[in-house]
Amino acid sequence: MSLRGRPYEDRWGPRRARLIAGALALLFVVIVGRSAYVAVNGPGRGHNDAVAESVRRADIVDRKGEIMATSLAVWSIAADPRAVWDGKEVATSIASVLPSIDVADLTRRLSDTDRHFVWIQRGITPRQKQAVFDLGLEGLQFQQETRRVYPRGSLAGHFLGFTDVDGKGVEGAELAFNDRLSKGGAPLKLTLDAGVQHTLEDELEKAYADFDMKGGAGIVLDAATGEVRAIASWPAVDPNHPQGRSEAAKLNRAIGATYELGSIYKPLTVAAALDAGVLSTTETFDVSRPIRVGATPIKDHDPLQHPQAVTAADIIAYSSNIGVVEIARKLGVKGQKEFLGQVGLLSRLSYDGPQSAAPQPPPEWDALASATISYGHGLAVSPLAFAASYTPFANGGEYVKPLFLDPKSNLIDVSKIEKKRVMAKATAQTVLSMLREVVTRGTGANANAPGYDVAGKTGTAEKIGPDGYDSERNITSFAAVFPASRPQFVVLVMLDEAQPRTGDKRTAAYTAATIAGKVIARAAPLLDVQPVLETSRVEASSLRASEAVTQ
Amino acid sequence: MKRLLIVGGLIVAVLAVSVYRAKLGAEETETKIEGLQAEARKVTEEISVLKAEEAYLTRPERIGPIAHDKLNMQPAQPEQFTAPEALSRRLGEEQVRLPDTVEAPAEDKAKAGGKPKG
Repeated sequence: MSLRGRPYEDRWGPRRARLIAGALALLFVVIVGRSAYVAVNGPGRGHNDAVAESVRRADIVDRKGEIMATSLAVWSIAADPRAVWDGKEVATSIASVLPSIDVADLTRRLSDTDRHFVWIQRGITPRQKQAVFDLGLEGLQFQQETRRVYPRGSLAGHFLGFTDVDGKGVEGAELAFNDRLSKGGAPLKLTLDAGVQHTLEDELEKAYADFDMKGGAGIVLDAATGEVRAIASWPAVDPNHPQGRSEAAKLNRAIGATYELGSIYKPLTVAAALDAGVLSTTETFDVSRPIRVGATPIKDHDPLQHPQAVTAADIIAYSSNIGVVEIARKLGVKGQKEFLGQVGLLSRLSYDGPQSAAPQPPPEWDALASATISYGHGLAVSPLAFAASYTPFANGGEYVKPLFLDPKSNLIDVSKIEKKRVMAKATAQTVLSMLREVVTRGTGANANAPGYDVAGKTGTAEKIGPDGYDSERNITSFAAVFPASRPQFVVLVMLDEAQPRTGDKRTAAYTAATIAGKVIARAAPLLDVQPVLETSRVEASSLRASEAVTQ
Repeated sequence: MKRLLIVGGLIVAVLAVSVYRAKLGAEETETKIEGLQAEARKVTEEISVLKAEEAYLTRPERIGPIAHDKLNMQPAQPEQFTAPEALSRRLGEEQVRLPDTVEAPAEDKAKAGGKPKG
């Protein structure tokens, strides 16, 4: 009997069976195929593996590799109060390992079963976490986090800055180099030297013991390369606890603020005039009487001994306002502006690192402004910018910008560091010798550091108050180059409203110069600067003489 | 034909087992590598912690007083330095000499070189 002749059910029965068998066979093939695929290729990647592992933020180290900032894995402990049987027992046990825990407060929070989540302690070390873990308490949760740590506390705190809870740079170097640090990898090596940095900060801290001051800043700069070996702002700030810093500590006075720095501008005025050929070293000036610029009288606070005929060297050594204004007049407004622009005092400095505050020039650069700027009033700049302006005196007339990244490890060719000639070599040497005289016979005697041939200039500038310049409040500063016999470093110390507790005058001669001298005496050995003492000079010269005779 | 099919099937089975075992071995190695990597991460973290602790413990404000109190050390003073020329001259003036070799007495010689008595 043919299929066609069969009843309907009989005709479709075998076909259904074959279809079902085929489908089952296909399913079997798929299962076997997938099993073989899994056997050969593995189970495949879970979604957890798809999440990129977070990159560990790079460390920041000083020029010798000392750690300034690092990222550490820390632990945080939390709890679910609903899973805690006895809140007081848990709190007491945890407090035995973490003594800073407030037992009563934690007991109260752990007993609140309406809550699902309670932080117990954040940012504990792996050892502390293990100790808590070993207590075997119920309901605890451990979460790993990364925290930025500054193991040297407040050292270079202002410069380093800090990060937010997500590890993103918020201030200072952490912000300025955020892209580089976020990529992880090798530590970011700075030009700072932790030892010199400590010396500078320590002397600023001690300065507060000697002077009742509002703030201070200091910079140590390698004149040849612009490498900043130390940069500090006082009051110090601990980047581990940025929220706890005082209002006074928030400002980075070395970089982020501008000041009228007073008479430390005078050597720049003299250098500009000498280089322009409008002043000679033998030329004399009469500074016995105040002079008027428009309606404004300009006088010397401490009249010179023989004021009828003083040279530029005398004007610098004894800080004569009258004399330097006379020189500025000879130089002219245009020459003055051009020179100050060349030494980086009229525009924001451009370099890799936390940005310097933009200078504040006078609204109108007329004859009066030119006169006051010649002795450091009317043009406010950041201490960092000003320190860089003294590099030509140490470099034979060449200006160098500040550098914060260690050249060797950051692939910076030292020989290609831009040096801009801003004055003749002879001019630089002449002004340098004048600066040395400031310390040997002038207002900078307190900056003397035996053996280190300090050359520098004092600066005392009255601060602007609601009624103009306030004679009761001032900024005192000392800008130095040392050693004068073979210049290597520039040092700048600036103190805000420093009042000697001894009752001495509140001028730079008694305040900033003293601190600068102490900084140089302590930092020079760390900077590998060999002192040249008078006895050594005599011995060396007599030796050379005897050698010359025998030859 | 039937034998060929059996042999072929056996070869395929052996190859399949080999591939499976190779895969298992690779997975084991991968697991081992992951374990080692985790250990390396842990050690790296420990090193970071130790370095941070070292930096904390070697802070100049901590080391300075310890060096002063325990070792009586002071910061270097300029007077402690001298020019190399002056140093070489001083060494010449001092006429540094090594002590002369002292001739040992005869009795000591005998003690040193002779046979033990008794």
